[in-house]
Amino acid sequence: MTAPGKTESVRGAGTGARAPRRRGRLGAPALLLLPFFLLFIACTLVPLGNAVRLSLYRESRSGLGFGGTERVFNGFGNYTRALEDDAFRDGFLTLAQYCVLYIPLMMGLSLALALLLDSTLARARRFFQLALFLPHAVPGIIAALLWMYLYTPGVSPVIDFLDSAGLPANLLGNPVPAVVNIALWEWTGYNLVIFYAALQAIPREVLEAAVVDGAGPLRVALNIKVPLIRASLTMVGLFTVIGSLQLFTEPMILHGAAPEVVTTWTPNMYAYTAAFERNDYGLAAAASVLLALAAALLSFAVTRLSGSRSRKREEAAG
Amino acid sequence: MTSSVSRRRTTLGIAIGAASALCLGLLTGCSDDSDSGTGADGKPVTLTFWGWAKGTKEVVDAFNASHKDIKVSYKEIPSGVAGGYAKISNAVKAGNAPDLFNVEYPQLPDFVSQGAVKDISDQVDPALEGQYLPQAIDLVTLGGAKWALPLDASPQTFYYRKDLFEKAGIKTPPKTWDEFRTDAEKIKKADPKSRIATFFPDDPSTFEAMVWQAGGRWFKAGEKAWDVNFDDNATRETAAYWQKMIDDDLVHVTPSFSQQWTNSLQKGRTAGYLGAAWGGGVLGTTLPDQKGKWAAAPMPTADGKPASGMLGGTTFAVSKDSEKTEAAVEFAKWATTTEAGIKARIATGTSSAYPAAPALVPVARKAFKTDFLGGQDVYADYEDAARSINEDWTWGPVMGVTNNALRDSFAKLGSGDGDILGSVRKAQQDTRSELKNRGIEVSGR
Repeated sequence: MTAPGKTESVRGAGTGARAPRRRGRLGAPALLLLPFFLLFIACTLVPLGNAVRLSLYRESRSGLGFGGTERVFNGFGNYTRALEDDAFRDGFLTLAQYCVLYIPLMMGLSLALALLLDSTLARARRFFQLALFLPHAVPGIIAALLWMYLYTPGVSPVIDFLDSAGLPANLLGNPVPAVVNIALWEWTGYNLVIFYAALQAIPREVLEAAVVDGAGPLRVALNIKVPLIRASLTMVGLFTVIGSLQLFTEPMILHGAAPEVVTTWTPNMYAYTAAFERNDYGLAAAASVLLALAAALLSFAVTRLSGSRSRKREEAAG
Repeated sequence: MTSSVSRRRTTLGIAIGAASALCLGLLTGCSDDSDSGTGADGKPVTLTFWGWAKGTKEVVDAFNASHKDIKVSYKEIPSGVAGGYAKISNAVKAGNAPDLFNVEYPQLPDFVSQGAVKDISDQVDPALEGQYLPQAIDLVTLGGAKWALPLDASPQTFYYRKDLFEKAGIKTPPKTWDEFRTDAEKIKKADPKSRIATFFPDDPSTFEAMVWQAGGRWFKAGEKAWDVNFDDNATRETAAYWQKMIDDDLVHVTPSFSQQWTNSLQKGRTAGYLGAAWGGGVLGTTLPDQKGKWAAAPMPTADGKPASGMLGGTTFAVSKDSEKTEAAVEFAKWATTTEAGIKARIATGTSSAYPAAPALVPVARKAFKTDFLGGQDVYADYEDAARSINEDWTWGPVMGVTNNALRDSFAKLGSGDGDILGSVRKAQQDTRSELKNRGIEVSGR
């Protein structure tokens, strides 16, 4: 906190050419930020605007439909159509089930593993860190294909084994747990690394003080370490929620082997199907905008909730 | 500059002169993929073409080897329902569609209705039209105009494992659907893990072909409006039959061409395949180890009299914005109506397409390596089946929506609580509301 102030005073006292230098300082950040804003406009705002524009139109035909199409303004017609569609709403229901199962499992598992790695008991830390992170290095599509192979009856050695043990399993028939499993495999290691880095950053004297005060390893982990890395927990939670809303690749791959993963299984798949199988770009755009809104609202809620909780805690502590 | 020349649609000679003049003047300005719709010495028209049908690459190679004025640049894309159609529609929307692409009959009306396909009526003279099977021509004629050239008619065909049928004590392939059911029971009895065939929950076109065969007619194009009725007797009977087959666990329910399906065939746990003419080639490439064990038979029917629907079947359509219509039609014509075109495809051994031009059936018959089917003269069977294709069937203009609705509700069949007739009714409802949503007229209820 003191460092920038110090340099400021040093520079300020140094020369009389203060004004041009400040302009220079404004210019440099502007120049450095320019590529970001250009890309942000080109890759985020323009497509967003385009999606909103698309969502307000529909393509109209007449008669038997072979006379060509005409683009007509449709107001919020596409939005009401998406919201009235059971398939679209079911997609959100699927997401809710997925989140309820996936988020606590993934967060719990990552945190537990990170705490274990961080504990004084851990051996071969680097190896386990790498081994646990490795699945994340596998692209989502490949991961989904790998798991599809393991889920498919007649092909999968796992299912063959379960069958011969008298435990017939229909893994593809229950798409939510099947997809949650793939996501767990992919993301636990990644989030573990984030938690572990945060844990490593905790000042060792705090932990030593706790030990001196007689806290056991479990107590240190739960009452000292976890509260101290709350910021990372919130961040991971937020990213996971937003990521979950975008769920697409894994179910799309599973769809090839499991018709139970219907073409509108998640809202993202709904938008994809609307655009590329039904050729209804207006509906697809409306569904995408609604999904983006839901993601924005949810992330707002998550940050707000965790923010107010930590503030309350600070107040209570103060 | 070059594109304005082509837009004028001048006669070939003048255009060649103009283009070569331009080439001389610009030297480097005339690249291979310029928009020029004309050819010049050493500078043929380059045509972009997307497809996936077996043997297409060989057809293109043969065409390029024998033609100097047109050069076809072929790109193999995933099969239509596996993402190929999405790719094409996407490209059309983005304005970078190929000049020519393959569409199957069911999806053609959808593409026409999207405005993705060019009306080629003026390129199809009666002499050319007369070369194709009338049923195939009907399917590419929409609203009085011609939109594509048909490659194959795809009469339904039942493929079965001779050895597994013999083992189950079945001497002749089933002629009626009742016999098919009895045989299904025998197959299951001989090996409790084995089934006679597969119901594909992901591919409604097989079910639709069954309805077609039974005399159903889901879509009728009237003067101004579509008559949409999925709830006729033929549909109800077909739905009830397959529902019972699934409920009694007499057929597998697995996705078509999936790992699971292939694996089951490899292990001999699936003794048959309810396919179409092109299926012989596909089975042969999927199961090279089972050479000689398979045979083809006419699709069973309700009363034992020959009848058939069509399962898939490919056409060549010119994309709306192509400036090389003439060249595109020229290639499509060559690929579908000439001896060389058909021979190049069938001789690969990967395709058993039944030519939509009946005069070429003998060519295909001679070129097809039939050792997978134990030397059987399958084209004779296909020919009988093709003659029995019901003529009334028409595909609707929103098959993407219709088939998606069917696919998503057929999905429940695997876990035992699907309802075929319910799915069909849901699909009808979705189809009607989609037609209305697009501004297309629907008559009746």
